[in-house]
Amino acid sequence: MTREMGSRAREAARTVTRRPDFTARSLVPLGLFFGLALAFPFLPLGDRAEYLLQIAFFTLVAGVLALSWDILARSGQVSLAHAAFYGLGAYGFALLSKAMPWFLAMPLAAVLAGLISLILGAVTMRLSGMYFAIATLAFTEVVRTVIQNLPEPVAGGANGLLVPALLGGNARGQYFLAFGVLLFTALVSLAIRRSRLHHAFAAIRQGEETARVLGVSVVRYKLLAFFISSSLAALGGVLYAGKTFFINPLETFSLANSIAPLTTSIFGGLYTTLGPILGATVLRVAEELLHNSVKNGYLVVYGLVLMLSILWLPRGLMGLFKKGKQGGDL
Amino acid sequence: MELFLQTLLNGLLQSGIYALVASGLALAVGVVGIVNFAHGEFLMIGAFLAWALSAYLGVDPLISLPFAALAVFGVGALTYRVSIRHVLLAPELNQMLLTFGLGILLQNVALMWLGGNTRTVTTPYQGSSLSLGDLSVGGPKAVAFGFAVAILAGLYAVLYRTTLGRQMRAVAQNRRGSQLIGIDVDRVYLIAFAVSCALAAVAGVLVAVLLFASPTVGLVFALKAFAIIVMAGLGNLTGVLWASVVLGVSEALVQTYVPGGGGWSDAVFFLLIFATLVFRSFRGAR
Repeated sequence: MTREMGSRAREAARTVTRRPDFTARSLVPLGLFFGLALAFPFLPLGDRAEYLLQIAFFTLVAGVLALSWDILARSGQVSLAHAAFYGLGAYGFALLSKAMPWFLAMPLAAVLAGLISLILGAVTMRLSGMYFAIATLAFTEVVRTVIQNLPEPVAGGANGLLVPALLGGNARGQYFLAFGVLLFTALVSLAIRRSRLHHAFAAIRQGEETARVLGVSVVRYKLLAFFISSSLAALGGVLYAGKTFFINPLETFSLANSIAPLTTSIFGGLYTTLGPILGATVLRVAEELLHNSVKNGYLVVYGLVLMLSILWLPRGLMGLFKKGKQGGDL
Repeated sequence: MELFLQTLLNGLLQSGIYALVASGLALAVGVVGIVNFAHGEFLMIGAFLAWALSAYLGVDPLISLPFAALAVFGVGALTYRVSIRHVLLAPELNQMLLTFGLGILLQNVALMWLGGNTRTVTTPYQGSSLSLGDLSVGGPKAVAFGFAVAILAGLYAVLYRTTLGRQMRAVAQNRRGSQLIGIDVDRVYLIAFAVSCALAAVAGVLVAVLLFASPTVGLVFALKAFAIIVMAGLGNLTGVLWASVVLGVSEALVQTYVPGGGGWSDAVFFLLIFATLVFRSFRGAR
């Protein structure tokens, strides 16, 4: 107990006295990742190109989900409701694209999911730790129940909905769209890292009372984190819906979609921009390799990775690279 | 009026299982201080044990109940030794996420091994029913309720009448103080956690009789158990009983009186969580 408080105090002190280690050099690995991702479709991939491009697409989506989850976690809110906003993005896009072109439906679905997240955020505002986790877990189940029980013409009921394919089903175009969304998410994350928001989120995470005393308006920042995170997650949902062109409540709101971003961020390295993206790449590729040998239950890996990360690698992959720097107090 | 009474009765019977699951969870939260997100998976193990013993050896689930409880007691003790014990002093979130990972692991091992199908257990009394005046009750439901009540009575007897129970309550109240007066806290934790898992397994056996066994059957019950312990106040064991009745009865009422209620009743627990949490947070408690 005391050891933990000591480390918190130390980190708080560090946050105040030192400027964040945010230099051009720290951006190099991130730039490298995006360079590689951009070049990926042009690599000579052989006759499995289509399959590999699809895996790469879903890796980018997983990155969007994980990084957006991490942004919320930075404000101390460890959510199990990410699947809800991912799913709301998918459903919002499916319904909106009946009435408007995709490039309008996409941002609108994201904003709508963001607004709904404000409702959840406002209700769970004063909950902490496990109460918050339980409430968000239950929220996902209920969103699914509601969508499933709405009259079938509205949202397709338990059978699901057909979604118009993004960009007419052009795989390369879809890949670059996903690339754009992940790049946007990373830029948002970096912008937060640079701005006052970073300090506000860190202060709230390390102690709400203290943050309030320091003059951080806790309510506003917590809701803002919710809005940003959920809108980005919804963009991930749009990509998913537009790629698979068929969605149903059971898969879209599956607990797996909440577990994956959480595990990915913790495995990759919490409160960083590169960590969740790196984690998504490693885990997604591992998952795909496993998918060929195991049909059911590939989530085993996520469960195992989550347990092992917490027991032995609390700073995630990022902790392997830079020892003794901040980040990782879960 | 008759429909109303029947609804109340159904709800009450359902709450027996809820109380069994939730009191196990409350024991882990109250004594060990761990919110066990893998609780539902221990229930799932119990359900599958009942199914396997019945399908392969022809053992009636109600006879295999003590064996399932004992087996899962062992699994729980092992889990405590290997993982939980190492995060007791870690931040709350680490503990929570660790058990969450364990839950995913167990659920998906079951999925890999047994597939996603539901397995039903057939018993001779499955189709039977009892009638009380104008009301009728399914045989298995009544039996399951009876077992739940008996086991809960046993649990409370242990907690309030034996040395071990007194030690558990002491540890729940003050970890350090208990250590000072010579209680082996680690041992109490181990037993409390393992008993908590065994309670889930017992509930699982009953669930296998009433519904089915499947890899994901635990999640629904775990979520409802969360709702119950949140309503009761985390770690409050006596509150669990009435909170279970509230949940069971309100679900039954929704099922009967809301059109298309079968689907909606699954959302009731969430409303109860929210109502409780919001009410509490506005009253100022955490």
